[in-house]
Amino acid sequence: MSSAIYEELRAAVVQGNSERAKAAATRAIEAKVPPLDAIANGLAKGVREVGDKFGEGEVFLVELIASGKAMKAGMSVLLPVIKASHSKVKTMGKVIMGTVEGDIHSIGKDIVATMLEANGFEVVNLGEDIPAKVFVEKAKELDADIIGLSALLTSSMLKQKETVAAVRAAGLRTKVMIGGAPTTNEWAAQIGADGWAGDATTAANLARALVAKKK
Amino acid sequence: MYELLNRDEIRMLHVAAMEVMERVGVMIQHDGALKSLKDAGASVDDKKRVVKIPEYLLRETLKKCPSRHQMTARNPKCNFVIGGGNSVLTNAFGAHYVNDLQTGQRRLSTVRDLDEFTRLSDYFDTVDYVKPNIMPQDVTQDVLQQTMALSMWKNTEKHCSFLAITPEGWRDVIEMAKAFVGGEEEFRKQPHLIDTGFNNVPPLKYTYEIVEMMLECAKYRIPFDISTGALASASGPVTLAGLIVQGTVENHAAVVLTELAGPGTPIMWGSCGTILDQRHGTAAFGSPEDGLIHAAMCQLAHYYGIPYYGAAGVIDSKVPDAQAAYENMMNALVATLAGADVVHDAVYGIVEAGITGSYEQFAISHDICGAIKRIARGITVTKETLAVDVIAKVGHDMNHLTCDEALEFTKKHLRDEHWQPWVTDRTSRPDWEAKGSKDIVQRAREKVKKVLETHQIPPIDKDIEARMQEIIKRRAKKLK
Repeated sequence: MSSAIYEELRAAVVQGNSERAKAAATRAIEAKVPPLDAIANGLAKGVREVGDKFGEGEVFLVELIASGKAMKAGMSVLLPVIKASHSKVKTMGKVIMGTVEGDIHSIGKDIVATMLEANGFEVVNLGEDIPAKVFVEKAKELDADIIGLSALLTSSMLKQKETVAAVRAAGLRTKVMIGGAPTTNEWAAQIGADGWAGDATTAANLARALVAKKK
Repeated sequence: MYELLNRDEIRMLHVAAMEVMERVGVMIQHDGALKSLKDAGASVDDKKRVVKIPEYLLRETLKKCPSRHQMTARNPKCNFVIGGGNSVLTNAFGAHYVNDLQTGQRRLSTVRDLDEFTRLSDYFDTVDYVKPNIMPQDVTQDVLQQTMALSMWKNTEKHCSFLAITPEGWRDVIEMAKAFVGGEEEFRKQPHLIDTGFNNVPPLKYTYEIVEMMLECAKYRIPFDISTGALASASGPVTLAGLIVQGTVENHAAVVLTELAGPGTPIMWGSCGTILDQRHGTAAFGSPEDGLIHAAMCQLAHYYGIPYYGAAGVIDSKVPDAQAAYENMMNALVATLAGADVVHDAVYGIVEAGITGSYEQFAISHDICGAIKRIARGITVTKETLAVDVIAKVGHDMNHLTCDEALEFTKKHLRDEHWQPWVTDRTSRPDWEAKGSKDIVQRAREKVKKVLETHQIPPIDKDIEARMQEIIKRRAKKLK
């Protein structure tokens, strides 16, 4: 019985069908399938499958996003049950993402956020034009593993430097990764960031490596 | 010439753009600009900073925007007109890395690279005016724009378009231009000695800095291009028609606010918008859709009576290979045939879409653009070129290599009729093998090295250079 439900959850996510994912999650609860298993063997499995296919160039970004949404829809049904049982969803780690202050570009950052979610990370997307102190506050508040800083403008790259410095000054153990068209690996090293990624797939691999380092 | 859209389609795009402009509006994060738009009749949501521009206001301000304008250069022989009926070609913009000419290694770019790419731009006759091919990484941000401007002024006699990324840096570059021509009064007479370009933040947004710099241009009537940077399926609709509608609205907002502040400011209405590759999450500039967008946007610019500036010819390939060549040729050619007044990024000395400078690709692209310019010139049909008398003279017993009159005729017309490539191989196989069986990349590398050894630019006046250096020093001090 539970294997059919896992399959239904997985298929709903692969299809990017939020309604179907919610219905499957409801069925899982009714059938007393442990919700954490429903995630691991169903929803998360589906999203990983789509994420891998995206990495291979076999799936479109729009489909990856839809799958991410379907997974979240399924989770929204399961989470109250998980909370009630005082257990916790295991993720790859918690990532805070944002475009730095003075820069309102969003596309690249949003693509990376999608990819990180597909790779099992919990992502809090703060949005654009985010000052250094907000990154620090949120990282503290949410006990984030990684902060992701995006900048598209040559002029806003300096804010990445400022933010890295602020994170260090606050004594946080949070890893910082940066990206954005004008940024380089050399720039990341220069400002003391923990890593640089030039595309979403690399960003996901980097995030995995950073979390492993942290542990 | 290539006309992609028919009249009805242009009209439909226009009507849709007017609806978006009036119903959705554009976010402008600049209170001064919002106020002047409001005073002129636009409706402004002060809280959201969104302006809705009525069509009549657009039409009024479009009247103030020139349909053609001159650009002047260090050397007056290099002056030219934008919107005069010919496509003007420029080089590429802004590489952070360079494939080193000597070692072939990829490394961060330097001011010396900008010097050299600018000197090559001066040498290549396909480059009608010069863009900053390199964004040097060995200069601090506070003096980046100023240092780049000086490098370019020193290394070409052609008209230069400079980088504008911060208002204070851009003001310094304007001060440097004043120093160059001998003061403010002189500069106001020829603000078209310099120009620059801006992108909005799609969808439908303008930042404070960009607007501030556009208003600085308006103050002096410095020409600039405003190019929508929307990516289809990411920061703009997936449909090309929808992307063009959005881009039109984005560009128009800049036209209206600029012409209100400085009537007569020359604006080149442009696009560097393209599609997002949905399989990799990257911008695909070397795509056929990119060319279609240019062709359509060009028709719209001309419908509105403004010159069109298309960033067409950008290469996605990481190396100067067959992919690089086809991408560069396809879209630069389409934009040229569509009648783009400026084809920016045509002579493309970069690979990897704006990221890595390539000396070799620059030389190859010089040939590609030479061919494009030849195609654009078309076939001259006159009584003389129809050559009936020469055909008769040669008759059946001679040919054009044996008949004296034919040889004269060939000598007279050869240079105009036949384009001569620079690095393209048309030799015989024995000849090619005797010369080392080199491919186009190897030949390009050798030729570029030779040009850089020999092509010299007359120095600029020492006092003028000292004054420019002073402006740079002052800014560096201020930040300390």
